[in-house]
Amino acid sequence: MTIIRKASAFEILNHWVLAASFFILAISGFGFLFHLEQLNAVFGSFNVMKDVHNYAGLVFTASLILTIFHYLPVSLKFGADDIAWFLKGGGYLSKKAKVPPQDELNAGQKLYYIVILLSGLAIAASGFAVWLRPQVPDIRKLVVLSHLVHNIAFDLMIIAVPLHIYLATLANPGTLRIMITGTVPLEWAKKRHAKWVQRIGY
Amino acid sequence: MTNHWIDFKNADVILVMGANPAENHPVSMKWIMKAREKGAKLIVVDPRFTRTAAKADIYAQMRSGTDIAFLGGMINYILSNNLYFKDYVVNYTNASFLVNPDFKGPGELNGVFSGYDDKARKYDKKTWSYQMDERGIAKKDPALQDPNCAFQLLKKHYSRYTLDKVSSITGTPKEKLIEVYKTYASTGKPNRAGTELYAMGWTQHTVGTQNIRAMSIIQLLLGNMGVAGGGINALRGASNVQGSTDHGLLFHILPGYLPVPSAAVVDLKTYIEKFTPKAKDPKSVNWWGNRPKYITSYLKAIYGDNATTENDFGYSYLPKLDEGMNCSWLMLFDRMFKGKFEGFFVWGQNPACSSGNAGKVRKALSKLKWMVNVTLFDDETGSFWRGPDADPKKIQTEVFQLPVTTIAEKEGSVTNSGRLAQWRYRVIEPIGESKPDSEIINELYFRIKRLYQKQGGKFPEPIMNLTWNYGEKDASGKVRKVNTHDVAKEINGYYLEDLKVGKKGHLCTNFVTLQADGTTSCGNWIYSGSYTEKDDKVVNMMARRGKKDIGGLGLYPEWAWAWPLNRKIIYNRASVDLNGNPWDPKRAVIKWNPNKPDPKTKKTAPGWDGDVPDGPAPPMADEKAGKYPFIMRADGMGAIFGPGLADGPFPEHYEPLECPLSENPMSKKQRINPTIKLFYTKEGGLPEDVFLSGDTRYPYVATTYRVTEHWQTGVLTRHLPWQLEMMPQQFVEISKELAAEKGIENGSKVIVSSARGKVWAIAWVTDRFKPFKVMNTTVHQVGLPWCYGWQHPEDGSGGDSSNLLTPTIGDANTMIPESKAFMVNVEKA
Amino acid sequence: MARKALLISPELCIGCRGCQTACKSWNRLPATKTVNKGSAENPPDLTPNLYNKIRYVEMPSNSNTVRWLFVSQRCMHCDDAGCIKICPAPGALFKTKEGAVGFDKDKCIGCKLCVAGCPFDVPRYDEKDKVSKCHLCSDRIAEGLMPACAKTCPTGAIAYGDRDAIIGKAQKAGYQKLYGQTDLGGLGIMYAFKDTPKVYGMDESPAIPETIVFWHKVLKPLAYWGLGGAAAVSLLHYLVIGPKKDEGGE
Repeated sequence: MTIIRKASAFEILNHWVLAASFFILAISGFGFLFHLEQLNAVFGSFNVMKDVHNYAGLVFTASLILTIFHYLPVSLKFGADDIAWFLKGGGYLSKKAKVPPQDELNAGQKLYYIVILLSGLAIAASGFAVWLRPQVPDIRKLVVLSHLVHNIAFDLMIIAVPLHIYLATLANPGTLRIMITGTVPLEWAKKRHAKWVQRIGY
Repeated sequence: MTNHWIDFKNADVILVMGANPAENHPVSMKWIMKAREKGAKLIVVDPRFTRTAAKADIYAQMRSGTDIAFLGGMINYILSNNLYFKDYVVNYTNASFLVNPDFKGPGELNGVFSGYDDKARKYDKKTWSYQMDERGIAKKDPALQDPNCAFQLLKKHYSRYTLDKVSSITGTPKEKLIEVYKTYASTGKPNRAGTELYAMGWTQHTVGTQNIRAMSIIQLLLGNMGVAGGGINALRGASNVQGSTDHGLLFHILPGYLPVPSAAVVDLKTYIEKFTPKAKDPKSVNWWGNRPKYITSYLKAIYGDNATTENDFGYSYLPKLDEGMNCSWLMLFDRMFKGKFEGFFVWGQNPACSSGNAGKVRKALSKLKWMVNVTLFDDETGSFWRGPDADPKKIQTEVFQLPVTTIAEKEGSVTNSGRLAQWRYRVIEPIGESKPDSEIINELYFRIKRLYQKQGGKFPEPIMNLTWNYGEKDASGKVRKVNTHDVAKEINGYYLEDLKVGKKGHLCTNFVTLQADGTTSCGNWIYSGSYTEKDDKVVNMMARRGKKDIGGLGLYPEWAWAWPLNRKIIYNRASVDLNGNPWDPKRAVIKWNPNKPDPKTKKTAPGWDGDVPDGPAPPMADEKAGKYPFIMRADGMGAIFGPGLADGPFPEHYEPLECPLSENPMSKKQRINPTIKLFYTKEGGLPEDVFLSGDTRYPYVATTYRVTEHWQTGVLTRHLPWQLEMMPQQFVEISKELAAEKGIENGSKVIVSSARGKVWAIAWVTDRFKPFKVMNTTVHQVGLPWCYGWQHPEDGSGGDSSNLLTPTIGDANTMIPESKAFMVNVEKA
Repeated sequence: MARKALLISPELCIGCRGCQTACKSWNRLPATKTVNKGSAENPPDLTPNLYNKIRYVEMPSNSNTVRWLFVSQRCMHCDDAGCIKICPAPGALFKTKEGAVGFDKDKCIGCKLCVAGCPFDVPRYDEKDKVSKCHLCSDRIAEGLMPACAKTCPTGAIAYGDRDAIIGKAQKAGYQKLYGQTDLGGLGIMYAFKDTPKVYGMDESPAIPETIVFWHKVLKPLAYWGLGGAAAVSLLHYLVIGPKKDEGGE
């Protein structure tokens, strides 16, 4: 069985950094939202949790920026394949559905990228605004706005990320290994990213 | 106060003039607001729109130092519109008394009354007298028509105070004057009461006493004396000013307002003859006729067994003034400045900031050999030698600082403005080396006594013969710890023999039981009854805390104890008609009850209900036993005509020593009060005493005041960071108009200067001051507080006392410095 | 327990600031070094060490020399408190049984969201970044004492009592509607204004910022509905359609 490389070590590392920081942020974020004092068992106190949340945010942001720049060239190229992919519902709507051959990333993945790009940047920027309280004429307005943005972005993410996890695991067995070993069987790749496989010379 | 704090709630109209209760007596506003809730009108007359003015129904702006013009206009208004309370005026005042036909007023004599000697700057009061009948009683015209009766003279005198004239002097618009006059004069009806509240805004003028006299006349005309919600009420500037004045704080009075004798009053007999007024009219109570009892009991209290009939009860031990000697504040510091004092005890005060012309005081202190500063914190006085213009190398004064306790660290009585003596308890032990005042005095006394014992000296008797039974004594005879209760008991007095009124060794019931033969002692007759015995039990009346009221008037007779005799409203016999029925039944202070049951025998014993009356005598209508209401006056009458004062029987408007006008609009020849002592004359004087009136270099009227956030010179409050936070720095309030003229911005630093000194201040550019239209010219006024000093905050950020600007001049009667009206300049710093 | 409240009557306030000092005294708040900037109002604004301040409003008047108003400014103890609503730290801001909005510095995480959530710009942060504001002397009132400011006020301009009783009294005194009577679920500090609130430096209709209400009503529930929904959709998909199979894909 031919194994081909789908993700670099950097990509894997960055993905998990981003994911880990996201989980910390999301869990503590839920804690803040719903006053989950049970989390004190993990963090010790809300004060510590706030610091963890803030610094995890820093890590998340750094990782997010790397992610954004790394996938920028491939993610924002939309073409006929993507439209076709969408029209077929990504092949998820029935067992028999078939999607046309895709390049390195399919339209769903690109969409996810965009959602993460937008909500990630928004949540990071608004988070920093609340945390660092820049010198502006009306800080209260800025904080109110940031609070809104932070929460909208959070809601987007909290919907998108579980779907991403599902699609990358149960829905598509074999996908997860990309983010572990960085490699996939050629056959697996051909089925999902035929054009990419072709482009890189298989 | 004739009335008391709570009584303000009973008023229909409250005139605040010469005071600023919201800022300086905040608690009094509780009662003022209660009155307003019931529909009373609050009138504030002040050069500046104060925090009190902010609560007023009517606010009238008036140039500093023109109160008599303002009030004179009101008298004129009341008389010409027949708004006075006729029954009251005829029966209870001397309005009907016929005055010597030779008496002339300033309208006829170019600004002075008859009898003026311009060399001595004094009046010969011969013509200020009454026409007497064969019994020696003043002749009267109850119709008030005789041209020489006090009423007609009053009318004539104040007819000159027309609205136009008053407005041109005070700068108050005519409509405002009418509004104030009309509102206040509405209390001339039996069922209406008006009260007046004043403080230093009236007393600190060269015409201070006459300011109050003018209001007394108004209150008598309107029948407002003696009634609930009426009276003339001095708001004292400190919690115990009343108490300390009662106990002989001033140089010319012994405790209980007994005069300090001069050297010419050689013995007790002469003293009694000179100071005991006689009344020929049998209806006059003439309470001061009891003077012999009070002075004798006082001597017995202070010299004890050493006061005997043989030695004139130790009268010769009393300090005497030289003939005509005045030891008031300004005179003392003038003498000190001239090097005539060796030492000085500064006790609970900060003259380097509080005194009029404080700059002179600061220099005067440097002429001393030693000074003892008894204080809570170091202050500008204690540290004068290192002050802004002082050179410590050249100053030889040795300064001792004695730390004294706060009120929380000592026990004793405090007498408020309403004459209410309230007992206070010690909360904590004195901190550090501080001692209560009484302990410091105790130490001093025994040390001085020991020195006399060891070294002898001239005239040791006054010290050696003093009684000092204030607690347990050690082997040397020294009191170990002063027991304040023993002091209070001595003030109340004891029976020294078995008498009809009480047994030997027991506390006096009250001053009615005092004797003139040395069989009673009493340290201060007006406080007799404050620490007494009831059913053989000793009772500290001042410590009582009963909350029962009478008639809803807020008299609370069981709460602490007010002098005299727990009487809450003095001259209350004037609150009833001739038959003893209250003028206003809804506000009955006292009421004659012919069917009053005796509490013991249950038999009918006619008497008074309500407040403690001014004597038990039946109402005035009682031909045989009825008495006049004003019992402290020899003639028993309220004084419309008041010959007792130095500067005239009727108040006359004179300009302040420093004013913006070149002449007095009332009488061109006499600009200032003709009887004030001038420290700087045409012949010259000390440069420190210089004054410049109508001088273009100092064109703005200025006044000084306190702020709520600081107390007096601020020694206590500048050390309290919370207070300093609210009022951190000296400021001067100026009108927007003047600020625009001088290019001064709000919040900027300016220099305020007078002929005597200068201070920096932060400008408060505000509508609270407005330019006045005075004699057709625009006059600007500014004002600044006197609560700051260079010594604290230590970085000098607070500024310095505005008393560096005020002049050396005092009232003609009291010598209280005129710090409420003087001239300054204001420039950008 | 009946909800407690303060009624502030600027008509009765004489601007003496006894309340300002009493508050500092009871709460042991240090003073700050201030300068005189041309007004009696000092410190110029609420600080972490100044829970209650008298605002001095000087304005022109047609009938008088000037109009000078004194208004106590402090936490309003809203029933529907924006600060509590937005606060992410449980117990940092809370309602006492008397209805006061209390705070617990130990639990405060210093995020300052309450500053944004407050319609009256009240919460301040101390040097340790902990929330600081008037708490209606919750320690005193829990013991049946009145707040230090009300205790000190000489004129009754700050009156303390049961909220309903206070409203009743004010209505008897002729105040048809108090400021804060119904705003934000009813404030714990109500004002007897004789003029429009604006004159006294107050917002005509104070409200929690709309976005915070939106967040509270929509975004916050959406967070768990969203998470749950995404999980549920995934599960459903897995059960109904199932994963993509690799076999037979040729």
